[in-house]
Order: sequence, then C-alpha cells, then structure tokens
Amino acid sequence: MIPILGLVAGVLLGLLLDPTVPLWLQPYLPIAVVAALDAVFGGLRARLDGIFDAKVFVISFVSNVVVAALIVFLGDQLGVGAQLSTAVVVVLGIRIFGNAAAIRRHVFRA
Amino acid sequence: MTARPPGGGQRSLGASLLDDVLAETLDPAYAQAAAARASGGAATGGRRGRGAVLVALTMVVAGVLAAVTYDQAAARVQGRQEIRAALVDDIRAESDASDELAAELEELRAEVTRARDELLASSTTGQRALDELARAEAGAAAVPVSGPGLLVTLANAGSDPDDDPVGGGTEGDARGRVRDGDLQLVVNALWAAGAEAISINGQRLGPTSAIRFAGEAVLVDFRPVTNPYEVSAIGDPETLSSGFLASPEVGALAVIEESFGLRFDFSREDDLSVPAASTPELRAAQPVPDDGDVPPTDPATGD
Repeated sequence: MIPILGLVAGVLLGLLLDPTVPLWLQPYLPIAVVAALDAVFGGLRARLDGIFDAKVFVISFVSNVVVAALIVFLGDQLGVGAQLSTAVVVVLGIRIFGNAAAIRRHVFRA
Repeated sequence: MTARPPGGGQRSLGASLLDDVLAETLDPAYAQAAAARASGGAATGGRRGRGAVLVALTMVVAGVLAAVTYDQAAARVQGRQEIRAALVDDIRAESDASDELAAELEELRAEVTRARDELLASSTTGQRALDELARAEAGAAAVPVSGPGLLVTLANAGSDPDDDPVGGGTEGDARGRVRDGDLQLVVNALWAAGAEAISINGQRLGPTSAIRFAGEAVLVDFRPVTNPYEVSAIGDPETLSSGFLASPEVGALAVIEESFGLRFDFSREDDLSVPAASTPELRAAQPVPDDGDVPPTDPATGD
C-alpha cells in the first residue's frame, strides 16, 4: 500500500513542481521510464511470489534506469542511438510483458 | 544463465539469447535474496522498516520520472503546434505583403504610363512614338481591350450517370475532356479569322503565352484554367464568325466534340472585354545615346 501511495505522491509532485530537465538529459527520459516500469513490475511480481526484497528492488530500479540511459547515451555517441534504444525497449518490453503475465496469474489464478 | 534444455544439443547464440530473455523475466537476485533469507533467518524489524521507506522513496522517484517525461512529451507536442501556427502566420503576413507590393507596382506603373503619355503628347514626334507604342502594346497584350467579338465555349462531357463514382472511373473517358490541343486549335483559328485580342477564362493571351496540359488541368501562361473554357475573341463579329466557321480544323473539331459529348458553342457578343496579360519581363534594353537620337529599334534582338 505504501509503495502505491509513494507512486501517486511522486506523480503529483512531478506534475505540480514541474522541474526543468536539462536539455542533454531529455532524450534519455522515456527510456528511463521504460526501465523504471520494468523494475516496478519485477518488484510487484516478486512480492506476489513472496520473495520480495527491498534492497534488491531499490538496486535493480536504480541500475535499470542508469544502465538503460547509459546504453542509449553510448549508442548516441556511436551513431546507433535509435537502434540501441529499440533494442532496450524490446528487451524491457518482453520482460514487462512476462512479469505482467505472472502478476495476472497471481491475481486472477488464470 | 539458465540451464540448457536436456537433449537440445548445440543451440545457436541467437536462439539461446532469446530463450534467456523470454524465460528470465524476473531478476534472479530476488530468488537469491529469498534463499539467503531462508538460510540466514528472518530479517529484523528495523531492517524491514528501513526497506519499506526505501521502496516508498524509489516509487516516489518512479512517479516523478513518469510525470516529468509525460510533461516533456506534452510540451514538445504543444511546442510543435505553436511553431506550426507561427509559420502559418508568417506565410499569411508575407503573402499579404507581396499582394500589397504587387498593387503598389500596378499603381506606380499606371503613374509612369500617365506621365509618359502626357510628356509625349506635347510634341509631334512624341505623338508618333505614342501611336507606335499603342500599337506595340496592343500587339503585346499589355492593355485591356473591350468591344464586340465572338465567345466560344468548350466544356467537358457531362458526367455519365452509369459511371461508378467510387470505382475511380474518372480516367475512363479521357476523350470526354477538353484537351490543350482543342483550345490551341480554337485559338489559332480565331487568330487566323482576324481576332485582335483573345482571352481564355479571363486569362489574356499574349504573344508568348502557351496553352499546355499538366495532369488534369489546362494551363494558360502557367496558370490553371478550369472547365468550362470560355474563349473570348475581340474583333468584328461578322468576319470573325465567318472566318472561324470556314476553318476546316474547326469543322473537324466540332464533329469530334459532338461525337464525344463535349459542349462546343459559339456566340456573337456586342460587348466583350479582355484584361491585360501579365506584364512581360524586360529582356532587352538599349541605352539612349548622348545626342538624344533614339537608336533604330531592332525587334530581332529581343530574344
């Protein structure tokens, strides 16, 4: 319950404060959000599996976001940024899908 | 790495990579941590509380991240729309300015003509030059003309009620349309019959005007004219109509048009008016010598 409240508070905070993002960081925000989504879904599934661990969740969240943004940044420097962000989105998308399916099995028993 | 399926043999790298991605959707660290907890005993209450706070903080970060990204994307869309609107406004303003300048040019040109006429009309040489100029201007279609004449109307065949409006059958009856050749033929016959000035749908034909076909549209002087095509010719209606009708091409055209259902009429009009053609570009000019003699004009140097 508390994590969900945290998420809602974060969304409200982001919308109300409307912080200015430095220009160089802007291209990496969408990919960071996808990575964060993957970590959140992973954490939710682990919780339903009964093996949730706060430390693992926090570390996986931070490393997911940083690594995803870093890969795309590296791709941009090498001139393959678009392809690499596609690769990241595909891999993370598959994982999100798989975790969402596992959560569905937990919730609906089907 | 997950264990290879038994008896699977050597898998290709791509296939095993896909297997990993598809099978391992949950971070294996969770399972390891659970195993470690199971062997090391339950966590203490203090650690649990700190963990919950950390998780909540992480979720706050995730929420902020999502909200900011959403804001950015929305702002980008809005910015694009603003830029588009600004560009459209710019285009409007510039085209207004260009219209204004064109009107000003027209005014100034009329002023120049008036001043020139006044100056030239005072002397006999000037008068002669003026007459010559008037003839040249009439020939170059630089002045509007009105008077009696002949109005020839050409129109596409009416749409066939059997035509399927959805099936894209408009291309089917290409001969039911007036073509550039038909208009050229009519215009040439009218010139031959002694027309002084001709316009098509209000587009005056000058000595360098072209009647062309571009896709579906007929272009006169690169400006499109549309169906029905009204060709106004100024001249003596009697000689015009007799000369026009005597032309064998026109007779042939009339038969063809009739058989394809095109409209082809002509009528004598007492009062027709045709506008001036678009002002031709100045292509050649000669300096006036110091002694004031006007050099003999040589029309061959024009092009």
